[in-house]
Amino acid sequence: MHRTGFQYLRTAGLLLVAALMFAGQFAGAQERPVSFVNDVVPILTKAGCNVGVCHAKAGGGQNGFQLSLLGFEIQEDFEHLVKEGRGRRLFAAVPERSLLLLKGSGQVPHGGGVRLSHTSESYALLKEWIRQGANNDSDKVARFVDFEIQPDRKTLKRHQEQQLKVIARYSDGSQRDVTQQALYESNDKAMADVSDNGLVKVQDITGKVAIMVRYQGRISVFNVAIPLGAPVEQVPPSRNFVDDAVFANLKELGIPPSPVCDDSTFLRRVTLDIGGRLPTAEETAAFLASNSPDKRDHAIDELLKSPDYADYFASKWTNLLKNRRDDTSDIVSNFAFHAWIRDSILANKPYDQFVRELLAATGTVIDNPPVAWYKRVKEPKDQIEDVAQLFLGVRMQCAQCHHHPFERWSQNDYYSLAAFFSQVGRKPSSTRGEDLIFHKRGIAAATNIKSGIALKPAALSDAIPEIPADVDPRLKLADWMSSPTNPFFAKSLVNRYWKHFFQRGLIEPEDDIRDSNPPTNPELLAALEKHFITSGFDLKELVRVITRSNAYQLSSTPNQHNIVDRQNYSRYYPRRLQAEVLLDAIDYLATTQTDFANLPPGTRAVALPDNSYNRSIPFLRVFGRPEGESVCECERVQSSSLAQSLHLINAGDIKAKLSHPAGRAERLSKEDRPAEAKIRELYLVAFSREPRAEELKTSLNYLTEQRLDLEGKPVDAQKASRENIQDLIWALINAKEFLFNH
Amino acid sequence: MTTSIFSNDNSAISRRVRAAIRRSLIICSLFLAAVTTDVFAQSVCLPAPRLLTTMPMGGKAGTQFEITISGENLDELGELAFSDRRITTAQKLDAAGQPEPNKYVITIPADCPVGLYEARAMTRLGISSSRVFSVGSLTENVRTKPNTTLATAMEIDVNSVTNASMTNRAVDHYIFNAKKGQRLIVDCATRGIDSKLDAVVIVADAAGRDLLVERRGGVLDFAVPDDGRYVLKVHELTFKGGVEYFYRLGLWELPAGAPIVRQPTTKTVNSFSWPPQGVAAQAELAEVEPNNIGAKAQKITLPCDIAGSFFPAADVDLYEFEAKKGEEWWVEVASERFGLSTDPAVLVQQVVRTADGEKLTDVAEFSDIPSPVKVSSNGYAYDGPPYNAGTSDVLGKLVIKEDGVYRLQLTDLFGGTRSNPRNIYRMVIRKAAPDFALVSWALHMELRNGDRNALSKPISLRGGATMALEVIAMRRDGFDGDIDLVMDGLPEGVTAHGLKIPAGQSRGLMLISAHQNAPRAIGSANFQGRAVINGSAVVRPCRLASMSWPIPDAWNEVPVPRLMADVPVSVSGLEFTPLSVAPASKEMLQVTAGEKLTIPLAITRRSEFSGATMELRTIGAGFDRNPAFNLPLTADSSQAVLDLAALKTPPGEYLIAFYGGAVAKYRHRPDAVVSAEEEKKKAEQDAAAIDAELKQLVEAAKSATSEKKPEVDKAVEMATARQKVAAAAVAAAADKVKKATQVAQPRDIVDIVVSEPIAIRVNPAEKK
Repeated sequence: MHRTGFQYLRTAGLLLVAALMFAGQFAGAQERPVSFVNDVVPILTKAGCNVGVCHAKAGGGQNGFQLSLLGFEIQEDFEHLVKEGRGRRLFAAVPERSLLLLKGSGQVPHGGGVRLSHTSESYALLKEWIRQGANNDSDKVARFVDFEIQPDRKTLKRHQEQQLKVIARYSDGSQRDVTQQALYESNDKAMADVSDNGLVKVQDITGKVAIMVRYQGRISVFNVAIPLGAPVEQVPPSRNFVDDAVFANLKELGIPPSPVCDDSTFLRRVTLDIGGRLPTAEETAAFLASNSPDKRDHAIDELLKSPDYADYFASKWTNLLKNRRDDTSDIVSNFAFHAWIRDSILANKPYDQFVRELLAATGTVIDNPPVAWYKRVKEPKDQIEDVAQLFLGVRMQCAQCHHHPFERWSQNDYYSLAAFFSQVGRKPSSTRGEDLIFHKRGIAAATNIKSGIALKPAALSDAIPEIPADVDPRLKLADWMSSPTNPFFAKSLVNRYWKHFFQRGLIEPEDDIRDSNPPTNPELLAALEKHFITSGFDLKELVRVITRSNAYQLSSTPNQHNIVDRQNYSRYYPRRLQAEVLLDAIDYLATTQTDFANLPPGTRAVALPDNSYNRSIPFLRVFGRPEGESVCECERVQSSSLAQSLHLINAGDIKAKLSHPAGRAERLSKEDRPAEAKIRELYLVAFSREPRAEELKTSLNYLTEQRLDLEGKPVDAQKASRENIQDLIWALINAKEFLFNH
Repeated sequence: MTTSIFSNDNSAISRRVRAAIRRSLIICSLFLAAVTTDVFAQSVCLPAPRLLTTMPMGGKAGTQFEITISGENLDELGELAFSDRRITTAQKLDAAGQPEPNKYVITIPADCPVGLYEARAMTRLGISSSRVFSVGSLTENVRTKPNTTLATAMEIDVNSVTNASMTNRAVDHYIFNAKKGQRLIVDCATRGIDSKLDAVVIVADAAGRDLLVERRGGVLDFAVPDDGRYVLKVHELTFKGGVEYFYRLGLWELPAGAPIVRQPTTKTVNSFSWPPQGVAAQAELAEVEPNNIGAKAQKITLPCDIAGSFFPAADVDLYEFEAKKGEEWWVEVASERFGLSTDPAVLVQQVVRTADGEKLTDVAEFSDIPSPVKVSSNGYAYDGPPYNAGTSDVLGKLVIKEDGVYRLQLTDLFGGTRSNPRNIYRMVIRKAAPDFALVSWALHMELRNGDRNALSKPISLRGGATMALEVIAMRRDGFDGDIDLVMDGLPEGVTAHGLKIPAGQSRGLMLISAHQNAPRAIGSANFQGRAVINGSAVVRPCRLASMSWPIPDAWNEVPVPRLMADVPVSVSGLEFTPLSVAPASKEMLQVTAGEKLTIPLAITRRSEFSGATMELRTIGAGFDRNPAFNLPLTADSSQAVLDLAALKTPPGEYLIAFYGGAVAKYRHRPDAVVSAEEEKKKAEQDAAAIDAELKQLVEAAKSATSEKKPEVDKAVEMATARQKVAAAAVAAAADKVKKATQVAQPRDIVDIVVSEPIAIRVNPAEKK
């Protein structure tokens, strides 16, 4: 992921301070030749000269001076420094008059400001390098191999500090302390911050955090565990390996978990999370009345069998796979593609098979709906970027133009991956705007735009055996993905699904898996990955194993200790219902239907095939239903807003539902039942529980209160009853208990 | 006191007012749209009789039942005829013995084979377009009540076929009993029986929860898990519906392991080229798996005829054979032409085995059989026929350059991820057997953007009309000679002339002309191509293709063509074509090569036209390059000029014709106005007579004696009643006149006009 220019400038400011602090330590450096590769380039990198917004900007750098991004291209950097700029950049006779030093230290005006103090060690090193003749020693000097962080992991108390040391190793076996030249970044600044010289300061929040350290294109991580240290006397019994890993982590960190939630909460939670809907009043009543010891497991199995599960998860995948209605004629392909996803989930098609059918789709959309993906994602560049991010949790976008700054991916990795899609043939079909997709016979290759070299398919540095001309390379990519040893494919999916149920991925963001972004509970992630692979990529089994765990079934009510926990799953983290689920829930509570164009009356919002309904149903837009623009789950807006509150309070569609002539309020108002029974029905539907005594009392008072019109005259009893019930439903809808899965 | 937070009457009122304004605006704009359409619209294609739906769409052999039809221009309905004369019909009569509109009683004899038949209705304008009709062996149901909810699901039995049309924005529900362990097949016939429905078929449990889903027109093979009630749900992929979205939902039991035989479907256009002449119904050999890797390649000897399947996903079938230098083999694969979504590809490699292993050298690669003529793009304008005579199947010539072992690899380019054992193929490798196959369809040209109506016209000719069929040949194994086109079995007064497919080319035309006085009739034509191959006369049938539905706007509807079972030709006998263009003389025109030929033309106009001229182009091989010229629409004669020097026409005999689009001010059934007026006149006379009689009676009543008074009063009363009836009859007759007059108002309709054929002999130029 790219950092913003502002972030880089800020980092550069810090670097300057650091450079000043360590000025004067430069003694004895003059005694050895200064290395362009191992001294100069790291200084330029640390000073922020070669970031994307400065001299590494695409298309010529800044002010005619170009450097490669983060110094990945040593030779090019040397050429630019030494040979360009009519030799003014470096002036060997009087090194301090070199433009590089004058500008970098701000002695002459510099758009990038002061990057190096003229009293700093780095300045002195650069000067010395110029004095020595500005040599390029890239083919002579010992090559940088890797580096080590000391320590590489540690348990730290809250507010504790730790100075890191970074030791670089070279090809001749030598070592150097490069702590000052390395770059540092915290994965979660709210948990631990790190200074420019590697001083880590732990903050208030407990858990696990990583500090990313970068030096010369290599990345490593300092892992910090920040225990709460509270006594964990008891954890719920373990029901499976998920519990083992979660509770072991909580014990290690000293975070006592909340207890297992009650039946009502469980049923509502799991029905919302698996089926994307509220439990029906009948389901709730039967579940609460059951004494079966395995009734929770049974409820999970029933949900997994239901089409609701397929509808809900299809909705998730449909958005990620960009099923977008850009033209009215897209309707057929969009409906077909959505239906294919939904049917695959209903039939519990193994995930690797699902991805294979998508990646290597051929034919027409009607005959083979996953071809629709190729209608939306047309260029090989977009295809590999989407595939990498969605199915591998790897973001390759940077590597199209340059080496990934936080990762090991190079442009060769990028184009080698693109080569898998180089033999996708297209022919116009009889349907306007739709191509027929086929495998074009030939040896797959893609050209690295920088080197001009045609690269054969390789999957993220893994070599792939020679692919004959008549084998579709996409099938080989699918083979590689579904290999049990693939380090990305299963991990990415289990992390994504974990997030679905726990609101937070073991790796965050869920589609940014990299060495420098370690999981908060690596043992759990590994165990989930293994289970998923062993099960034959069985998605239902994954959902089953997650939701059966007591870790999933913990109460969302925090105890005095775990209230600060945000990443260790010591309690259930409540989440607002998704736009579609909320709309369906309101419709269910109000006994109404939202009318969706082209779809049969009664269609649920979670079963919508594409984004077109966001235009016609403002509710969906206000509550953040995505438009299918991106493969990132972050496109779905889950935050709350004033517009949402106002919509629920006062929007016409909500009012219309409450006062619908066939709605629940109307029916209840006409029923000759005690008000108490009606209130109980409403609570069972809305919250999947009986009303508490005080709630019952308040509601009863409200329903039976005498109502007066604006002139102070009593309102007709039937009308009063109807409006009172509408008000009560309205109040329930606006309650957090309704709006959140908790 | 509480006040409901929803009481806001003012806003409610303002909402209603706003809604009312909105509604009126919509109504206004709709009205404007209607006016615009009426005033400015120019229709395309003269009214053609089209049978569009039948309900039911099939029946069980050995039964008699009622059928209701609908369509366009089905005036004066006559016989409902089938491509197999064993199926008979009679118009259904009501209690009074009068024919009920659009209803027939159909009888299918027990010996009528299961399969598809063409149904057509004889109308005032001739024989209608066809609708497919199925004859089956299962019990037939017709849905009669809405069944769009689980509660209203229609009860059906296993081993039945249910006829219904899809309900718009809904899911049709059916419920049935099944026993644990039963193997049930659910097969919904839709596109294959001319329906517009892309069906989604779902097997659900008794609570309506989906168990199995099929959305790609496939069949459901359902293993019943428990005794109980099960639900079938059917809907259109995008929940469209209406009478055009009909389906036959079959549900039957099949023993475990038995192959599934689906409900019959129509044939795709490109299937005309399969099978080649002489190929046996069953292949001699069957593919033997595993044959996916070189070491397991199946050994064959050439020639061969082998059946196999692209199964499982990414299947590779390898065959190995020995061949000698100089041998030439033709490799033909059929799979897509069976109606499957496959794209076979063949790679032949020479295998040289050495101590180090195998060395493979590519020898030949075959993929699609391209269409011999440019196929329409999916654009708005007409740029070629939307019929694809080509196929993604394989036909190629393999020339062996060295003695040795060869390996043939057969794969499905669509098969990477599809694992369907029903994706079968048949591969024939033979010595050259030169031959051809023919297909034809109604000639089309750009009349209006998006219009493809002419492509679905039946061959129902107005008096004086000529209709052109475009004929395409697929040539096999190097045959490149002339193909003459002939049609016989035509009704009286109809002649057909083939504009041959010249050597080396693929396109010809067939012109079918009705004499102005041709009587009303129908015939089943015999359409053939004839050629001389290797010194022997060869005759091959020419299949007719047509669109399943009229396509007035190809932008919004993808044309769906199919092959027809037969070639019916009919003449209206009651209506004439607006414009006939014919050579002034029937004699063959003579011209010397390199000179100009002037062709006098006789123009017969039976209508007014919009515009003074129409543009004509020339058809007939080699003459297509003749520049377009204008034909006057105000004169009775004209002439065309062919510059044979520019056309470089070699000496020989030719048949050509001219065609173009003309906008007639067409009057639909002006005869109906005359007869309606006569009826009105008679009704008025009858009414006047009754008026007079009543007047007399009233007068008589005034002077009637008290004894006679009741009798006279009674007579007055009866006459008054008759007067009312007569007045109503006059009003009805007036209404009929009004309607007939309205319908007969001249409407601008553009249609294709084709001249009668013109025979030319080009004589060699005298050598100087």
